[in-house]
Amino acid sequence: MAKIVPRPNLSIWEQVYFLEVAKGLATTMGHAVRNLVNPDRFETTDYPEAKLQVPRDYRARHRLMKRPDGAPRCVACFMCSTACPARCINIVAEESPDKHIEKRPARFEIDLLLCVFCGYCVEACPCDAIRMDTMDLVLVADNRRAFVIDKEKLMDWQPTEYPVDDEQSQKAPGGILHAKALEEFHSGTYH
Amino acid sequence: MIDWLAAHLHIIVALALPVAVPLILFQVLPLMVLIERRGAAYIQDRPGPNRAGINIHPGMLGAFVHKGFYLVGPAIPLIIGLLTPALLPWFAPITYQVAGQAEAVTIFGQSLMAESGLLLFFALGSLSVYGVVLGSWASNSKYPMLGGLRASAMMISYEVSMGLAVLGMLLIVGSFSLTDIVEWQGNHTWGIVVQPVGFLLFLVAMFAECNRNPFDVAEGESEIVGGFHTEYSSMKFMLFMTAEYLHMIVAAALIATLFLGGYHLLPVGGFGTVWVRQHIGPVLGVLLALGGAGMLAFAWLITRRRAAYLRKAHSDNASRNREYTVYAVVFALLGLAHLGAGAAAWLLLPVPTAVIAAGGLAIFPWWASLLTAVVQFSVILVKTILVCGLFVWVRWTLPRFRYDQIMALGWKVLLNIALVNLLVTAVVTKLVK
Repeated sequence: MAKIVPRPNLSIWEQVYFLEVAKGLATTMGHAVRNLVNPDRFETTDYPEAKLQVPRDYRARHRLMKRPDGAPRCVACFMCSTACPARCINIVAEESPDKHIEKRPARFEIDLLLCVFCGYCVEACPCDAIRMDTMDLVLVADNRRAFVIDKEKLMDWQPTEYPVDDEQSQKAPGGILHAKALEEFHSGTYH
Repeated sequence: MIDWLAAHLHIIVALALPVAVPLILFQVLPLMVLIERRGAAYIQDRPGPNRAGINIHPGMLGAFVHKGFYLVGPAIPLIIGLLTPALLPWFAPITYQVAGQAEAVTIFGQSLMAESGLLLFFALGSLSVYGVVLGSWASNSKYPMLGGLRASAMMISYEVSMGLAVLGMLLIVGSFSLTDIVEWQGNHTWGIVVQPVGFLLFLVAMFAECNRNPFDVAEGESEIVGGFHTEYSSMKFMLFMTAEYLHMIVAAALIATLFLGGYHLLPVGGFGTVWVRQHIGPVLGVLLALGGAGMLAFAWLITRRRAAYLRKAHSDNASRNREYTVYAVVFALLGLAHLGAGAAAWLLLPVPTAVIAAGGLAIFPWWASLLTAVVQFSVILVKTILVCGLFVWVRWTLPRFRYDQIMALGWKVLLNIALVNLLVTAVVTKLVK
């Protein structure tokens, strides 16, 4: 069924149009002059130099969490790659030298060109080994292979880049809670 | 050597002017791109582009195009844009006496002293639509053809109103010569005062002629991709854009010449060329001071912009800071230099004494005439840039008209108003004269 759009009822001055044009010109010039005199009014930023703050729960590029000794927390259970709707996670498992842990990833690759940034892998992970809180949302490379990031790249992060109250991030090597975590780790109370 | 130069100066200027004026207008062109982009940004509450670069790309030539016409297409509007400035008077004729010669020599500020100056201008200007039509037809593709059809229909429709809008001005002046029109405005008042309706009509018609908003249906990117230049890329596309901007600058210069007093300073009679030559010192002083004040204000605005940028920038990008600093310093220094030059001109320049030649012509010293020519050229250039600014301002204010609205406006509204305006002007002119 066709929708009938009613014609606007224009007054004679609006039909003459020149007055409306003048009003429009006044509006735009008002904006231009105000912006010229007060450059703080801009709605946008000088992008590469000034960036807007992204919320901490924004789903950006992934990272792999680390144990206090620097090993990946991942146990290569394939839950994330199974949950992934884009099938962008490729894991090769191997036996872990730690007798308490069965497996560890020999390779852990994420193809960021395939990834849809849905966050299902984070939800699926049983041991909080993968997160998407790097806030790294500008992914640039000059070839497709470079968008496939490996285990080293995923674990290449510093605890100082994350909030102090994020205990899990801070317990990583170099973190301010690392010494305490390592102590807990060796005394067997680490969780 | 000096004698030979003095005796042949008018020939040298006559030969140099047709080359120099388009070259100077070419320098206005990048300025126009800057005004366009920055003006658009500031109107839309954003800082605008902070990166600029040139992309040298070989460009593509479709296998389906008609190569000859396709390559000629962008050249035609560019040639027209470079030819038409020759018809405009850029400064008043300078008359001077060479020692040892009986007759005074005159340097004209107009390359082509045609009696039918305005008619020739319109004749040349209407040719530029051929470039658009030829380019669009030779592209052998659907969107360009639609754009070319729209362009040809629109530009031809608005040429009628454009011609009729100017006729009122011509009736009042009584001449087709652009020199006469400008001189009349110097002796009486600007054209916009005696022909306000004609000015508005001409302005609207010129928007349509230049394919500018709100009449840019020929390249309506929301419906027909790029319109007539869809199949063009790289340098060939740039020629089209150059021609478009050049066309706009020339149109603005024509509007300034016809309705805004041309190279004359004030919209009041009695302040024409002779008055400027007599008072060249104070006139230069005031104008340079105004320019200097403008530059200082600009430097201040850049300083504010730099401060705002530094407040928000996370990473300290040294090259960007330096850019703002350089601009602020350069414009501040230029402003101060202009203020100083203005003061020097006012205080140091002597009052020129005119010699009355055989024909009752007042001949001023060469320096007074030369400085006056510089002032007049600057005046018309500033007027041209201001009208170009109006083009930009309107572009970022009004939405594009629908094609049928354009046709209705052109044939049913503008044409009638132009005819009534012509009739009223004719009657009033007859009664007054």
